[in-house]
Parts: sequence; C-alpha cells; structure tokens
Amino acid sequence: MAAVLTLGVLLTGCGGSDESSGGGKTVLRYTWWGNPDRAARTHEAVALFEKEHPGITVQTSFAGYEAYKQKLATQAAGGDAPDVMQLDYRQIDQYASGGILLDLGKQKKALRTDEIDAGLLATGVVDGTQYAIPQGRGTETVVYDAKQWKAAGVALPRNGWTWDDWADAMRELAKKTGKPGSVDPGQSEDCFEVWLRGQGKTLYTQDRELGFTADDLTRWWTFTDKLRREGAVSAAEQTTQLDGTVENQPLARGKAVSDFNWDAPASGFTPIVGEGLTLGPMPSGTNGTPGQYFKPSMFMGAAATSEHPEESAAFIDFMINDEKAAKILGASRGIPVNEPIRDAIGPGLKDFDKTIADYQDSVDGKLEAPPQAPPSGDNALQTTFGRDYDQVSFEQMSPREAAEDFITEAKAEVRS
Amino acid sequence: MTTTTATTAGRRPLPWRRVALHAGCLAALLVMLYPLAWLVATSLKPADEVIASLNLLPSKLEWSNYSTALDGVDDVSVGRLLSNSLLIAGGAVLGNVISCSLAAYAFARLRFRFRGPLFAFMIATIMLPHHAVLIPQYIIFNQLGMVNTYWPLILPKFLATEAFFVFLIVQFMRGLPRELEEAARIDGCGPFRSFFLVVLPLTRPALITTAIFTFIWTWNDFFTQLIYLFSPEKFTLTLALRSFVDASSQSAFGPMFAMSVIALLPIVLFFLAFQRFLVEGMANSGVKG
Amino acid sequence: MTTTDIPVQAARAQSPEPSRKPRGKREREGAAWVFLSPWVLGAVVLTLLPMAVSLYLSFTDYDLFNAPRWVGFRNYVQMFTEDPRYWRSVGATLTYVVIAVPLQLALALAVALALKSMRRGKAFYRSAFYAPSLLGASMSIALVWRAVFNDGGTVDNVLSGMGVHTGGWVNKPGWALLAVALLTVWQFGAPMVIFLAGLQQIPAELYEAAAVDGASRRRQFISITLPMLSPVLFFNLVLQTIQAFQVFTPAFAVSGGKGGPADSTLFYTLYLYDRGFVASHMGYASAMAWVLLIAIGAVTAVLFRTSRSWVFYANEGER
Repeated sequence: MAAVLTLGVLLTGCGGSDESSGGGKTVLRYTWWGNPDRAARTHEAVALFEKEHPGITVQTSFAGYEAYKQKLATQAAGGDAPDVMQLDYRQIDQYASGGILLDLGKQKKALRTDEIDAGLLATGVVDGTQYAIPQGRGTETVVYDAKQWKAAGVALPRNGWTWDDWADAMRELAKKTGKPGSVDPGQSEDCFEVWLRGQGKTLYTQDRELGFTADDLTRWWTFTDKLRREGAVSAAEQTTQLDGTVENQPLARGKAVSDFNWDAPASGFTPIVGEGLTLGPMPSGTNGTPGQYFKPSMFMGAAATSEHPEESAAFIDFMINDEKAAKILGASRGIPVNEPIRDAIGPGLKDFDKTIADYQDSVDGKLEAPPQAPPSGDNALQTTFGRDYDQVSFEQMSPREAAEDFITEAKAEVRS
Repeated sequence: MTTTTATTAGRRPLPWRRVALHAGCLAALLVMLYPLAWLVATSLKPADEVIASLNLLPSKLEWSNYSTALDGVDDVSVGRLLSNSLLIAGGAVLGNVISCSLAAYAFARLRFRFRGPLFAFMIATIMLPHHAVLIPQYIIFNQLGMVNTYWPLILPKFLATEAFFVFLIVQFMRGLPRELEEAARIDGCGPFRSFFLVVLPLTRPALITTAIFTFIWTWNDFFTQLIYLFSPEKFTLTLALRSFVDASSQSAFGPMFAMSVIALLPIVLFFLAFQRFLVEGMANSGVKG
Repeated sequence: MTTTDIPVQAARAQSPEPSRKPRGKREREGAAWVFLSPWVLGAVVLTLLPMAVSLYLSFTDYDLFNAPRWVGFRNYVQMFTEDPRYWRSVGATLTYVVIAVPLQLALALAVALALKSMRRGKAFYRSAFYAPSLLGASMSIALVWRAVFNDGGTVDNVLSGMGVHTGGWVNKPGWALLAVALLTVWQFGAPMVIFLAGLQQIPAELYEAAAVDGASRRRQFISITLPMLSPVLFFNLVLQTIQAFQVFTPAFAVSGGKGGPADSTLFYTLYLYDRGFVASHMGYASAMAWVLLIAIGAVTAVLFRTSRSWVFYANEGER
C-alpha cells in the first residue's frame, strides 16, 4: 500500500519547474561548478548573451565540484534539472541514460558543432545521440618544480619517455633531493588509465564492459607499491591525504618534487611552487604508445524537461562558438575545443593559461583519440580505486588481493 | 572533577581551591581555544603558507584575504549573504521554539490517546539518518513549488520536525514542579492558559537553549541550503564559504578562512547576547541553582 | 516560588486524578491535539511519508534517474554477505561511539560541575568553553584539524617533545579515528549547556539541608547531584549516542569525504552517503539507513530499559 503510494509520488515527481517565464521574458537556469574567478568571467559572458538576446534572462548558479555533483543529482532526481548544466565526463552516461538530457543533435539550427574536433565531440555521444557538447579540453601532465629537478641533475620529462624512464627518474630524484620524486600514482584511476592505454588497452570497451583484468591492475599496483617502498614516490601517510585539491598534493606540501595532475588545476601550484613550475608530458608505454589524451574538461548539456530547448541550445552555442564570449571566458573552462576560437584567443592568453596552451600545443597531434564517456558506474569506481589502493599502501592487502576486490566491485558497477 | 570529589573541610571552597579551579579551567581553555587561534591566524596567512606551513603565526599579515572575502561571491555582497543567513536562522529559531514547545507540552503534561506510541515514534524520528529521506523530501518540496525559496529550510521547523528539541523540552517540563499548574487548574485555567501563563515562563531556560542550538546549527547547516537554494542572491554565508574551494580548479583557501572568521562573528555575537539572557532567564524563572 | 517541597507536591499532584470529570478529560484530549497539530502535520508529511518512500526504495534498485526496480531483499543480502567495506564501516562506527560518547559526556559534565561551583567568571568560562561548538564541522575547521594533527603538526610536535613519536594522526589508520573523535569531543558545548541547565534546576535547599546534616561534598554529589541530574544525564546519553551512530560531518570534513586512511574513518553514514549519492545506489543506501535505524532503535530501547533503574524524575505524575 505504502509502496504504491510512494511510487506514485516518485513518478509524478518528474514534472518540470514552472518558474521559467517571468514578465514575458524567457528565463534559463544555468548551473556549473567552479571558483569565484570562473564566476566573474561567466557573469560577464552571460551579460553579453542577455544583451544580444533581449528576450532571455539567464539565472546562473555555481558551487564547488563535489557539492555541485550532489546538488545536480538531487535536482535531476526531483524532476527539477536546470535548463542548461555543466557536466563532467563521468556524469554523461548516467544523465543521458536516465533521460535527463536533451538530444542536442536535434538543435542543429541553434547550435553549431562543425568547428569542434570530431574526436572530442564524440565523447558527448551516448548510444548514437549527442547529449552533451564539450566545452574545453585538458590533458594530464607531470607537474614539476624545474628548479629542484635541475638542481638534482636529473633529465627532465620529455615527449616519448616511458614509465620505466619515469621510475628511474623518481629513484634518482629521491636519492639526490631526499624527497620522494612524485606523488604515488597508484591511487589514481586517471594515471592507471594512462598506463593502460600505453599498453594498447582501455578502461572500458566499446560495449562498456571492463577493458582490463585483475592481472593488469595487479601489475600496476605492484609497480607503484615497489616504488613507494623504495621511497621513490610519496609514502602512504601522504598519499591518503589527497582530496583532489592542489593544496593537498605532496608537491604543494613540499613533500615531493613532482605531481600528476590535469593541466588546468595545476595553476593552483603557482603561488606555492613559484617560477620553477613546469608542465611535462605523461610517460608512455614501452613501445612509445602515448597513454594520455585530450579529455573534455567539461561539457554543456540541456535538460530534457526544459521548456525552452531552442533558447538553451542558443545559449550553449554562444558559450562555445561565440568569439566575444570566448575572449571573456579565456581558458577558465579549459582551452576551448572550438578550433578557430582556440586559434583566435591563443595570442591573448596570459600567465598560466599560456603555459597550458603551450603545453597542449607541445603534445597536440601526438595523442590518440579520447575514449567515449565512461559508463555511469565509473563515478563510484574512481573513489573505490583510491580506497582499495589505500589498503595496499598501508600494507593491509597485497596488490593482488586489492585488485581482485576492485574487479569484483567494478564488474557489479558496470553491469548495473 | 576534583572540586566535587576531593574531600572537603567546609561549605565554601578554600581560596587555594578556587585558584586551582580557575587555573585548571584556564589551562583547559588554552588547549581548547588553540585550534580557534589557528583558524584566525590562518585567515591572515599568504596563500603558500595556508596549507604548507605548520607554524601557527603567519610570516606576514595578508589582509587581502579579508578584502577578497568582503567582496562577496558571484556578484552577491557579504551584507546580502549575511542577511540571508540571519533570515533563515531567525525563522528557524522562531519555528522551533513555538512548535516544539507546543508539542512538548502535550507530551509532558496532557493525556491523549496513543500518547505512548506517538512519543516512541517521535523518539524514533531522531534516529533516522536524514540522508535517507533527503530525496523524498526534495520531491515533496519540489511538488509544493518551494525549491529555491527559504520554505524548505524554515517550514519544517514550524512543524516541529526536530524531535531533538521536543524531547529536550519534554524532559525539562517533566522536571518542573507541578503545583502551580494544579493551582491554576483549580482556579479555572484551561490547558491553554496554563501553558502560556504557567508552564512557558518556567520553561524559559529550555527555550533559550533551543534557540541557541537552532541558531547555531541552522547557521552551519551547509547541506540543506546547498540542495534547496539555487539563485546566488538567495545564498547564505555558509554556502558562499564553500565556493572558495573547488577541487577541479584553483582554490582560494586564504579568503575562505577569512570568510569563516566573518561567518563566525554573528554566531559569537548571538551566543554572547543570549548568554546574558540565559543567566537572567534562569535567575528570573525561579528555578534557582 | 519555592521548590523545597517537591516530593510532597508531587504526591499531592496525583491525588485529584480520580475525581476528574469525564467531560474535562475529553476537553483535555481535544486541547492535546491542538497543541500537537503542527507536529502531527510535520510528522506525516515530512517524516512518515519520506520514511515510507525510503523503506520502499530499500527493496529496489534505484539510481535516482530511472524508475525504481523491485529487487526484494537483495540489497540487504548484499550488505550483509558481499560487502567487506560495509563491515569495515560498522566496525569504525562502533569504535567511534564507544570512544567519543563517554569522553564527550565526561568532559561536558566535568566542566559543567566545575562551573557550577564557581562564583566569578562563570559566564565567561561558559562562553569560552562553548566557543568551539559554534563552528560546527566546517570546511575550515577540518583543515585546521588536519594541520594540527598532521605529520609535523602541533600535536605531533608536542608529543615528540615528550618522547612519543606518532608522526601525525590524521594520516594513520590506527590514529585517524581518534583525531575525528576528538573533534566531536572538543565540541562538547551542547551537552555542557544542557548539564548546566539541569544543575541550575536542582533546588539549592537540598544542598543546604544536606550541609546542615554534615554530608560531605562527595556524599552530596552522589546523593543529590547525580540523582537529580539523572534525567538530563540520560537525555544527553541517549542523544549523543544516537548522534554518534549517525556521525557524518566531522569524518566527511577531515577525510575529505573518503573515510580514509584505509577506510578507518569510513563511518556508517559516510558510507551510506557514498553509496547513495556518489555511487547512485539509492536503494542500497536506503537499506543501509533502515538497518541503522533498527540498530539505533535497539540500542536506545536498551538505554530506556536500563534507565528505569537509575533515572529519577522529581514527579512521575500521570503515567
């Protein structure tokens, strides 16, 4: 009885929001994650959009990344998704298969996609439908303090260096500087993916099954665990404190000489590391196969329940394809994916934005196409990955045991 | 504590005992307040020292953290954030004090059918992890068209959903001497007049306690505000605080600490103001210690 | 008013009961429902209905986006038999309850008693001891905690000075839980104020009479303070135990939501949150919530049962 009643509530809960038109004006709600700097630039861009579209008002709202994910999920589940939303790679599959997202392929009139790199654009496709448009791109990098690195007399990161080269460099750095060479990459699913792709494998297959085995993961964790024991990468006590913020990385705490990170957030090291801060390419596979790739740093999507799909599409188009908007936004959402716009704003980039653009140029053309958006279960697996490795680095489980645990959970997640 | 368990030589503590008591309390305070000192000191540290440095004192005073924090967030001024926070906390205080004391009086003093089971049910609601009911509650408020308003934050307080406070006031009312109510009843007072004229004034310490806790907890409650508030101009200080920290881009820990200190000031002031009232309220209510 | 003769009054209070007229009773019944009406509305709409939904969800596979799919007891079976991390979270939570609750209550009571006998500076101390509780478990206080209890932090330095080398607390599986528990213990303001308010309600005359009889302070504490304070002590015990079982924010803040190191602070609600909102298994999370609810209910029932032998109400009135 209660079940029937409550199911009714759940199903009818999926109505739209009706606060979308006020005073004859169309009101779009746009939510995103970021920091106050991104907020300032976003407001400026939105003001320009409103000026060019007098009939539309855009209400914006933002939060930090973790808080944003939670909020968006609650809103979407409550049938109250905002008209336009910023999405992460890992959210696309879940939101698309849950029927939250609008088919943007049907909005071609308002939303142009022809200037976006085809490989990147494809990452917003789920089951043949374009649910999201990538906005910026980023790639992984070895962030290091070139001053310390040079002082130690160790060869700098270079294109085509292998994981073995990297490991040797870490050992040497540890010996010369007395500090671990790097953060322990064993805790990071992203680093594992780079390593895996370097061997020609992938995290997930085309059919969204797991693309690797417990053996692969055991080898990765054995590799990193050995380096940890040697002191070449950060100790368990440091690694366990990683929470995604730059400030808690061993490099920022003065507990390591380098870090693995995405290129854009690495700007956070600027005030801490200083002038020596440099971005280097990720290690590649033994035969030189690059593992890193250009990942969409974020997407824009629209709600299937939106009462203003065309206006939403027009707004997305503005944010991605408009040159004036791009000049305001700069690289605050990653280096733009729209190629003419990337070239147009390139010369105007300053400070760390320029560092990122130069770094991306240095690897552009050498990398392979990005994988399609991971299945929704990956959202949970990312955390599980770090947790299971914690068990390894605190020596409560062997790499093999932890890998078996992870695979068991991963299979269940990917299936469901 | 030593004062009560140590053997005594008389009715009043000797001077040395009083001195020892104060010395003990001050020493304990020093330890207790150290993290607060850290918080304030960190709000004045330059960016590179906020996390990396393990010294209490900053190498130089970075007042710009405060000016950044005072600029507000997302085009919303600190004054606006502050008044939003005050509005929510004030509404919550009012709601809890009224609705919880009404319900508590019924449970503590009146007889009605199913009193036992209903009381047990009320206690049970304290035990329910609120994450479990978050989604259903959100759907209900969404159906009522109340998302992105302050209603989901304030209305539940007017409906006595915080069983903690009902229980607190019930416990207090049970401890009150009953003779005044009896006298009032003999004088012809119904339950309503008896409640307002006799019981409520005596319950003041519990009501003030309820007010203080409600204010502080509502002020610091990040989660509910995050879920229900959407437009920046409705944001609160607590929400704004978190927007300084974003794992996917550069965080601004210095200004965040500065804003933490700013956000702390109203609660401190509220507490200090009520602190006096609390003492006064207890002295005047006739329930002397 | 005077409160010297509570027992007498309490005894008298019960006497008129048999003579009450049926009409008055019905009136009082009606009045009771008027007093209760806001609570009833809230209980039905904002508690009972969501609880029913969450009970239903606990038997489903629900990812927030697609309609719930009925799976019977699968969530419960999986929880108890196939999820090693679930049991780690149960272990961490129980350890936490056993450490944090007694420590916090003892400290709160000790400070309240110390303040009670104080003539001067009482208001100052009360405010100062309450200060940490004003903060909640905010992001900034979590960062402070991490800094203070980290490798090379203040606690580490002080302990090293005394010859004990811990190398930080928040970063070690055996120690992190203690650091999180201390964050809760540190914020003992709420139980302290409740203890203080309870102490205020003990009639001074009782102590004066006892002093005239030559009772020692220890004797007074055992014979007057403890029994008179027992309802408040019980209240604090029940509340803090329930809250400790649901501990979320301190661990969430200090461990950055991960419950590390090595799952050592992965408390029950933290894992529940993780399953529900990070992994989008709302059905599983709801099942976890119901198991927690039943477990807390059982513990509370035990507390209430034992309370009959040690909690003393001044007037047991109409029961």
